Order: sequence, then structure tokens, then C-alpha cells
Amino acid sequence: METIGTSAVPIEVLLVEDSPGDVRLTREAFKDAKVHINLNVATDGAEAMAYLGNEGKYANSPRPDLILLDLNLPKKDGREVLAELKESPSLKSIPVVILTTSASEADIHGSYQHHANCYITKPVDLEGFLKVVKSIDSFWLSVVKLPRVVHT
Amino acid sequence: MKTKSLLNLKVQLAFAAAILTMLAVGAISYRALAVSGELDQWVGHTHEVLENLQKLMSAMQNVESSFRGMVLTGNESYLDSYHANIANAEQYQLAIRRLTVENPAQQRQLPALERLAAQKVQFNDGIIRLRLTRGFQAAADAMGDRTGTQLMDEFQAIIRDMQDEELRLLAQRSVDARRRLDQAKVALILGTLVGLFTAAFAVWSVQRDSSGRALAAEKLRESEEKYRSLIDGVQDYAIFTLDPGGKVASWNAGAERIKGYKAEEIIGQNFSRFYSQADIDEGKPEKELQLAVTSGRSEIEHWRIRKDGSRFWANVVITAARDSSGRLLGFSEISRDISERKETEAKYRGLLEAAPDAMVVVNSAGEIVLLNVQAEKQLGYRRDELVGQKVKNIIPEGFAERLIADGTRTAAEALAQQIGTGIELIARRKDGSDFPIEIMLSPLESTEGILVTAAIRDITERKKSEQHLVKTVGELKRSNDELQQFAYVASHDLQEPLRMVASYTQLLANRYKGRLDSDADEFIAYAVDGSNRMQGLIQDLLAYSRAGTNGKALHEISSEKQLKDALANLRATIQESGALVTHDSLPAITTDDTQLVLVFQNLIGNAIKYRSAEVPRVHVSAAKNGGKEWIFSVRDNGLGIDPQYFDRIFVLFQRLHGREEFKGTGIGLTICKKIVERLGGRIWVESQPQKGSTFYFALPERDAK
Repeated sequence: METIGTSAVPIEVLLVEDSPGDVRLTREAFKDAKVHINLNVATDGAEAMAYLGNEGKYANSPRPDLILLDLNLPKKDGREVLAELKESPSLKSIPVVILTTSASEADIHGSYQHHANCYITKPVDLEGFLKVVKSIDSFWLSVVKLPRVVHT
Repeated sequence: MKTKSLLNLKVQLAFAAAILTMLAVGAISYRALAVSGELDQWVGHTHEVLENLQKLMSAMQNVESSFRGMVLTGNESYLDSYHANIANAEQYQLAIRRLTVENPAQQRQLPALERLAAQKVQFNDGIIRLRLTRGFQAAADAMGDRTGTQLMDEFQAIIRDMQDEELRLLAQRSVDARRRLDQAKVALILGTLVGLFTAAFAVWSVQRDSSGRALAAEKLRESEEKYRSLIDGVQDYAIFTLDPGGKVASWNAGAERIKGYKAEEIIGQNFSRFYSQADIDEGKPEKELQLAVTSGRSEIEHWRIRKDGSRFWANVVITAARDSSGRLLGFSEISRDISERKETEAKYRGLLEAAPDAMVVVNSAGEIVLLNVQAEKQLGYRRDELVGQKVKNIIPEGFAERLIADGTRTAAEALAQQIGTGIELIARRKDGSDFPIEIMLSPLESTEGILVTAAIRDITERKKSEQHLVKTVGELKRSNDELQQFAYVASHDLQEPLRMVASYTQLLANRYKGRLDSDADEFIAYAVDGSNRMQGLIQDLLAYSRAGTNGKALHEISSEKQLKDALANLRATIQESGALVTHDSLPAITTDDTQLVLVFQNLIGNAIKYRSAEVPRVHVSAAKNGGKEWIFSVRDNGLGIDPQYFDRIFVLFQRLHGREEFKGTGIGLTICKKIVERLGGRIWVESQPQKGSTFYFALPERDAK
């Protein structure tokens, strides 16, 4: 079992997001926050599940420490991805942050019902978005102790 | 007739009884006379018998005297008398035998009498012979024998017996005759009495009957007179009779008044003169009499002609009069001048014609009595094709049924229930096509009973527009829903690309401000501002489209709690502005959970935002309005609003201030209005510029569902 690194070992984050603009924006925001992370991207729900199951080209992909999940996704919806994740014994311990444009009560309630670890509506302005990403960094990647699993 | 025959029978019976009684009395009298005659006869007979017996006795005594004289004297002249008396005695004996032939008792005595007479004669003859032959002595000796005297005594005894018998018979017959006469006398008296009585009764009876008949006749005459004077006195009706040929036979005062003829002028004239020449040419007078003959009665309304040639509209009833055997005696005619009624009708018809709707007048039998030209037009019939027809022909269902009385209501009551209410039915035109109508019924008292006036309105157009309205409302709702959906979808989906534009222009501004030229900086600044504003609009639009659409169940909530939530959301604003927000105690109301928070939040937010130079003071209160609704008020001491903008401020994205003065898109009050109206309430404002504003919203009290 490895010990938790402070900065030497990069933190793996899986961003499930279909909008390249948002992906870039998120990447830029993390960059602005000067956080050292490995941002891996899946552009739809199916790809996210393939990544998490180390299928195909993701056979050697690292297990993420945190998942940033959009809800409205092509192929497999973010809600389904969340449900499958939280039903999987090996994956359910990975914290999932729902990061979406939806502010609907139904989505918020449904997400927590499926054990989402937090729900964030994407702020519409850049400033707000940067603040959110900073908050994610400071809370989930600095304050919170995340479970680390031995790589086999 | 019956009374008369009964009377005759009674009289006949009485007389028959009297006659019978008289006959009986006659018979009894005759019988009494016969008895009396018989008695006389018997008395005579008895006297005859007695006389003959007496003569026989005398003759025998003469025979004895002559015998004794001859014997004593020997004078033979005695013998003449002797023989003569013997012959007489024989004559008397024969007479007695004849007279007493019916009396067995006397007949029985006769042989002894005759034998004794014969023996005496024989004895006498013997003596006489002795006298003649032997002389006196011999004769006297022979006479000394008692035989002669004895015979004579016996003979006389029988004669006396027979006399007694005859007297006894006479006496007996007298008694019989007297008894029978007495009976006859009683019978006569009784019979006479009975006869008298019967006759008296018959006479009385006949008298009584005839006096009764006279009384009845008198009464009949009186009644006829009364009746006649009644008919004669009737002024409103012409009442007269016609003979079978149509000639006027009687004439009353009403006839004189109405038709203008005096009785003496018209009686005997043919009644056809009451008809117009056209009617006479058509043979109407004869036809009507014929109708009365065949059906007993004819009734028509038509023009009649007065003596002066003027005409009047008359209702005429002609009735055939027949005797008991059915023979036509003539006719009676009752006619009435109904011009006045006609005028009323004409007036009514005028009103009908003037009515904008189709009007149909129907009687209680469901027959059309009257209709106007609009009705003709609408239904496609000519007037004469409908008058007298069943209303069912034009309104197949729902009309005639409404006129029918049933067990619990009369036709009038049935009708009363329909009065004044529009009834939607289907009418049928002559060509068989149907169209929707609305009818209004009203009753019309008339001489023919209750009539119903039905105003019929063709509601085809109304139905069409109703359907159109329903369709339009449906379309509107659909379109509204679509719009709602559109607003949400549009704002939501527009937000994504806009967020990209805004974020990257901002990123551009952040990273490259001062690194390009000043133009670029300015352009980027406008792009950022524009995208930011657009984001604001879209977000507000989204908020607006969400407002009131949650469709959450309504339940009782504390409005005070809602206010506190709103204040919590506004905490930053309140703190920043130093506003003083106060409230009265607020009621629990039945409403949507979260919407009221938004209303308070927007109103209080606005009150603080549009503040004057003073420290903002906001007061929230609520008051009940007549038990039906709660009226909430949010009062401020802000800028106030010019009343001309009261409506405008509730319209989406309408603002009274420039963006430089106040931020915002102008969605807040629109959202409040939408929420309040969705909850069945209303919202308004009272304000004056510089005097603060009070926003009110009323929410209905309702039961939690």
C-alpha cells in the first residue's frame, strides 16, 4: 500500500464532458488555480464507463481519484453513469462531483439519491466558473482525504 | 208520450172497472127482478093450485049434494048437476096434476085423491042405481054404510094436505125470494157504490192528469218563453234557425244587431244573403249546410255581409237539428263578430312580424297556430304549409314534450317551468336539413286556451363560434404550453453557447487585456458586456418560465416562514443597504411551497433596490378581505412610481430606469405577477413618485388539497 503523496504523485481526475469548450475551460481553470492534476477526459457516458473499466484503449488508464460528471451526455447519460458507478463495489468509493448546467430540482435530488458526492451548477460567468474549480481543488483535492487503492 | 199513454191506460182501466161494476150491478138487479118475477109466478101458481084444489073440493061437494038430493028426492034432475060436477072435478084433477107436475110431494098425493074421488063417484053411482031400481030405502040402507062418508072425509083430508103443502111451499118461496131480494138489494147498493166510486176515481184521475198536463204545458210554455227571451235577448251572438232549405225561421236580437236585419225582414229569406257574392258563387252556403247535415256541425271563420253591405269577420257554427227519428228539422246557426279579436290577432301578428327572431305560436295540442315571416324563411315552409301542423314537424324533439301536462303538473305549470330559459334544440327545415336553435317560450292567454309563443333563434353561427372558441382556447392553451416549453428550452439551450461566448470573451479579456491594442480592449469589453447582459436575460427568462410551473400540490404553509426565507436569501442585499425590514404577524395560507418566497424576495428586493436617499424601510403586512382572500402588502419608502407606469412595470423585461442606474432585466415583477396569478390571486401597486410604493397581492383562501 502506497502512502498518500502530497504533491509528488499527480492526482487523477476524470472529467466526463461532451463540450470541448467546457473541457478546455475546465483545463484552463485548473491551470489558473495552479493545481497539479492529471485531467483525463471522456466525452460521453459510454467512454467514461470504458475508461473506468480499463477497457480497450483505456486498459492502462489510471483509476481516477475524483470524477467530474456532466449529466447531459451523448450515448450514455450522466445519470446512468452515476447509477452504474455507485452500484459497482470497486468504483463506488470514487467521489463524484456533478458539474452541470442543469439547476433542476429533479436532477439535484436524483443525483444525491444516487449517492453523488456533491452537485455543482456550472456558473454562467467565467469568474464564477473559475471560483468553482478552485473550490473543487481546495476542497476535494486538498482538504478531503481520498481513498487510494493499490494498483494491481 | 209515455206519460200520455200511461194516463190513457189509467183512465181506461178506471172506466173498465166502472163498467164491470155496472154490469155486475145490472146482473144482480136482473137477477133480483127475475127472482121477484119468479116469486110472483110461484105465488100465482100456488094460488092457482089452491084454487083448483078448492074448486075440486067444491065440485066434489056439489057431486055429494046432487047425489044426496037425488037420493032423497029421487028427482033425476039432480043427476045433471051430479054428472056435471063429476066432469068438473075431473077437469080440476087434471089441472092440479098439470100444475103440480114439478112438485113430487103433491104428485104423490094425486093418485090417492083421484082414487078416492073415483071410489066416491063409484059408490055414489051404485047408490043412485039402487035408488033408481030399488028406491029410497034400499038406497038409504046402502047409504047408511059409512063408506061414502069415509071416502069423502079422506078425500077432503088429502085436499087439505095438498092445500097446506102448497101454502107451505108458497111461504118457503116467499122467504127465499125475500132473502135473495135482500141480497140483491145489498149487492145493488154495494155495486152502485163501487161503480160510483170507480167512476168518481176515474173522473178524478182523469181530471188530475189533465190538470197536471195543463200545468206541465204551462210550465213548458213559460220555459220556452224564458228560453226564447233569453235567446232573443242575446246581443253578442246572432242566434237564428233555418228550415231544411236554408230559409231563416227565427231571429234573435243579437242577429238583428250584428247583421242589421229585423226579424220581420229576414224570416223566410234564404240565409245565403249573409255571404259575400264570391262565397255565394262558390256555393259556400250550401256546402256549409251540407257539412252540417253530414257531420252534424260546421264551424268556420269567414267574412259575413251585413244588411248595409259592410262585412265583418265572423265565427259561425251551424248545427243540424233533427227529430227523434232523425228527420232533418232544420239548422241552428250561432255566429259571432270576432273582428275585434281579429284586430287583437292582427296586432299580435304585427308584433310577431316585427320580432327579429322566428316566432311560432303553438297551442296546447302542439299544433302551430301562427308564425311569422322569419319563421317561414328559417324553416323554408310557406305559412299555410305549417299552420295547423304539428310543431314536431319543425322541432322534432324537446318542444311538444314540454307542453304536456302529467300527473303532477298542468300544461300551464309545465310551461311555466320553461318560461324565460333558453332551450337549445334542433329544428328541421322543409328540405329535411337540421340546424341548431335556441327557443324561448312564453305563454299567451287566448280565447282558444293557453298558447305558447316560441321565439326561435338560429344559433348555427353561435354554435360555430362556440366551437371555434373552444377550438381557439384549445389552440391557445397548446400554443401557450408550447411557448412555455419554448421559453424554457430556448433559455436553457441558448445558455450553453452563450456561456461559451461569455466565458471565452472573459478569458480573452483576463488574459490579453493591455496586451493587444486599445481598440481590441474596447471591443472585447463590449463583447463581454453584451454576453453578460444576454446571460442575465436568458437566466431571467428561464426563471420566469419556471415560475408557477412547478405544479406542486398546494398545502397550508406559514407565510411568515416564507417571508423569513426570502429575507434570508436577501441577507446580503439587506446588510449592504442597511435596510430595515419589518413585518406584522402573517397568516398561514394554502399555497405553493416555494413560490411565495420568490414573490416576497422580488418585492422586498425591489423595495431596497429602488430606494430613495433615505435608509430603506420596508414593511410587510397582511389583512383578510371579506373572508375570501388575504391581501399582503409590501410598503417601502423608496422612489415611488408614477401611476402611468403601474401596468408597465409588470410586463416582461420592461424597465423604468436605465441600465446605468439600476441593474436587472425587469423580470422580477413579471415573475411575481405570474406566480400570484397562477395561485388564483392578483397583484397591483399603489404609489406616488418620491412617496414610496406599496405593492399588494391578494391570494384566495382555499382548502388544502
